[in-house]
Amino acid sequence: MLKKPIAQEVLAAALQNGGTFAEIFLEDTLINSLLLRNDTVETVSSGRKHGAGIRLLCGTRCLYAYTNDTSRQGLLDCAAKVAAAAQWAQRAQPAALETVYFSDRHPAEQLPQGVEHVRRLRIMRDCTRVMREQSPQIVRAQAAWNDSDQRVYIANSEGLFVHDRRTRTRLGLLAIASDGTENQTGFEGPGAMRGIELFERKIDATERAKLAARRALTMLHADSCPAGVMPVAMAGGFGGVVFHEACGHSLEATSVSRGQSEFCGKLGQKIASEKVTAIDDGTIPFAWGSTNIDDEGTSTTKLVLIENGILKNYMVDKLGGLRMGMPSTGSGRRQDYSFAPTSRMRNTYIAPGTDEEDEIISSMGDGLYAASMGGGSVNPATGEFNFAVEEGYLVKNGKIDKPVRGASLIGRGSEVLMKIDRVSKRCTRAQGLCGSLSGSVPTEVGQPMLRICSQTVGGRKA
Amino acid sequence: MMTRDEFFRALLQAARDAGAEEAEAFFLQSESMRALARQGEIDDYSVNQSGGLSLRVLKDGKVGSAFTEALDEQAIPMLVQNALKSAALIDDADEQFFFAGSPEYADVSCQGDAGTPQQRIAMALALDRDARKIDPLVTELGLYTGVETGRGTLRLTNTLGLDLSHTWDECACFVSTIARRDARTTSGFAMDWGQRLCALDPEKTCREAVESAVFLLDAKPCKSGTMPVIFRNDCMPSLLGAFCGIFSAEAAQKGLSLLNGREGEKIAADCITLVDDPLLAGGAATRPFDLEGVATYRKEIISAGKLATLLHNLKTAKKAGCKTTGNASRGGYASSVGVSPSNLYLCPGTKSLQALCAQMGSGLVVTGLSGLHAGADPISGDFSLLCEGYLVENGQKSRPIDQVTVAGNFYRLLQDAVAVGDDLKFPSGALGSPSVLVGALTVAGQ
Repeated sequence: MLKKPIAQEVLAAALQNGGTFAEIFLEDTLINSLLLRNDTVETVSSGRKHGAGIRLLCGTRCLYAYTNDTSRQGLLDCAAKVAAAAQWAQRAQPAALETVYFSDRHPAEQLPQGVEHVRRLRIMRDCTRVMREQSPQIVRAQAAWNDSDQRVYIANSEGLFVHDRRTRTRLGLLAIASDGTENQTGFEGPGAMRGIELFERKIDATERAKLAARRALTMLHADSCPAGVMPVAMAGGFGGVVFHEACGHSLEATSVSRGQSEFCGKLGQKIASEKVTAIDDGTIPFAWGSTNIDDEGTSTTKLVLIENGILKNYMVDKLGGLRMGMPSTGSGRRQDYSFAPTSRMRNTYIAPGTDEEDEIISSMGDGLYAASMGGGSVNPATGEFNFAVEEGYLVKNGKIDKPVRGASLIGRGSEVLMKIDRVSKRCTRAQGLCGSLSGSVPTEVGQPMLRICSQTVGGRKA
Repeated sequence: MMTRDEFFRALLQAARDAGAEEAEAFFLQSESMRALARQGEIDDYSVNQSGGLSLRVLKDGKVGSAFTEALDEQAIPMLVQNALKSAALIDDADEQFFFAGSPEYADVSCQGDAGTPQQRIAMALALDRDARKIDPLVTELGLYTGVETGRGTLRLTNTLGLDLSHTWDECACFVSTIARRDARTTSGFAMDWGQRLCALDPEKTCREAVESAVFLLDAKPCKSGTMPVIFRNDCMPSLLGAFCGIFSAEAAQKGLSLLNGREGEKIAADCITLVDDPLLAGGAATRPFDLEGVATYRKEIISAGKLATLLHNLKTAKKAGCKTTGNASRGGYASSVGVSPSNLYLCPGTKSLQALCAQMGSGLVVTGLSGLHAGADPISGDFSLLCEGYLVENGQKSRPIDQVTVAGNFYRLLQDAVAVGDDLKFPSGALGSPSVLVGALTVAGQ
């Protein structure tokens, strides 16, 4: 789809008025989206995203233009647009393009194009049926299927020419429980870097559907969560969103390279409790946040971010690396061709510790157990984060008590990391979508069950 | 090489030839430019043009769709095949519609003047330079400091003879600030937007962005408790935006809103009147037709507390036995036809923010909200959000507050609203509100 001679010509055109680096990112992605509500097929949509983004760096200035017209002329016109804005004294000579090959860690067993929609709908119908079987109070069971087959072609003035193909599949399972006057929801979103084999052979989506429905029902009968400062235990899996927001974004070169993260200049320093070892790994086979190469063409890596509380690594992309004087860690990502890449998380998790799950609860006195987390956000410059608890339980005297709903957790990343006083032994990961400067990208978050000894909880009961 | 017109005609014909009873093409294109300034230079500059097209087909009473961003020779057969496949699988029992056109459409112009690239760059550099001169505590700016302009074009054409197009311009300038004093770091943000670059106010934007960061340097959490809260006019619109889906008839009919069948009932306090106005002069979502091609008009969703109407498209209106309200929307060319508000705002009252504070006596004024994408659930109405602002004691502004959450339920909030201010504002686009005083919400701090 992107031929070397044309790429070579386009890179030279981009650099014609000066510049230190030029890059073409061409993408062709086929997408299938289906929505099933109870037993009714509401939406079936297939389509194609297609376009190219041309990036020119002049020192650390970034110039970007994108287009849907990826013909030779379309690409040259796009290159001319960035060149027109350049005027840089230094002018890199584009090196001869050489194809880089790598082994595919995430080969799809079945590409989405070869799959008839009835196969997708069969899995979706099983899920909505199981959700509604949990109780007549489940008034709506929804399954949203999304799969994509993304082909990317990357060429740059350093001579890199590389191509990757990524197949991703995800199900959004939403259960709505109602008692006639109130609604509550439960959501599960399993996904992977795989084709339909994910749900036909590897995991049982109906187990997740059941979880979503049970959660909605539990929360329907739950009281409002009290507000205050208390110890909070968090279940494994999507609980990892806490680390993602409280710490992860603040370790991306996106903010660190501008001096706008609370963890700037802290390599080698203690930024978390000794119980915390945290990893960002783009190499985990078939994981939702993995890729073979990042969206700048650099091989992905496994990075130890924090080891026993000490900050070891930042996540670095090319431009961030230029600002920081560090090599890329293969963390450059973008939602699609319409975004310039920047450093982002991939599969980020807190590593297993040595504590026992039972003891975490039994020794916490009065507090909150967050069995399931929703999303959240952070301001990396100040470290202020927030996240929503999807399913919570009061803990009274070291015993899990009644369910509570509507809670959110807030704080500052640097503070909450220091307050993690228990990390248990079994780490699980869950899938999500992370939004930031370079758009929405698939990521995994994860952790073992852990405990924060003191945390501000926002709830509706004062 | 086909012209665009030829492409649409060929596409609709191909759909007919393949067995579609009716077919509709929706084309959306945008051209945009963004310049971000840093330390006296343009640090990030992008110029873009992209677009996409979706085809909807009607066959055997079912509507299917497909989309593409690659308008090449393969696009026509690909779209037709996928759209028909999709129609065969849909089993939505609701009747689906294509529309031949309204007898007339309002004459609204949304075209503005985005200036020249040089003018935009000059403005971005001026924002960077001036924002750093206002207060010694603010010497650094965040990533989002600069100017963005865009022009959107859409075209809707179908086999019933509908052929409509609409073009609109948008310009925005924005500043993000970082304030530091001792060990404390805070951030601030302000933006201005409109249809004309020359009508933006960069100086005011710089001042507001600097003030919002400096103000928070002394902020601390307050004690937890239940208290009256004023959502100021710069953050109430985003709370409204997080929950405005509850007014969609589509959401109501699917059990995703608690307002189904409640037209005519009192669902809010007397001081609440909520308007959807697609013909608002200068509005960010102003348009003469909705995305089914129906002529748009201004309507009250809530009139002095009573639910006057939900928002409809042709499908939801048929189901409910009423007329469409001209609120058909699409989330982009890849989405199906749904319902959304256009320019949506709470009507202002007659009291200044000062008077609202006096009325409140003691409570919290919220000036910023975070975590709306996660901490606000439109299906239940529950929210629990990180916020910042200031305490009011005896009607007077006292100390700044941050790192607290405010929690409640939006349906209750509408009922517990006590008064609305005279300060209607549209901070970032199509959502607007005055400051709103709410009787009691739970605040969690210390």
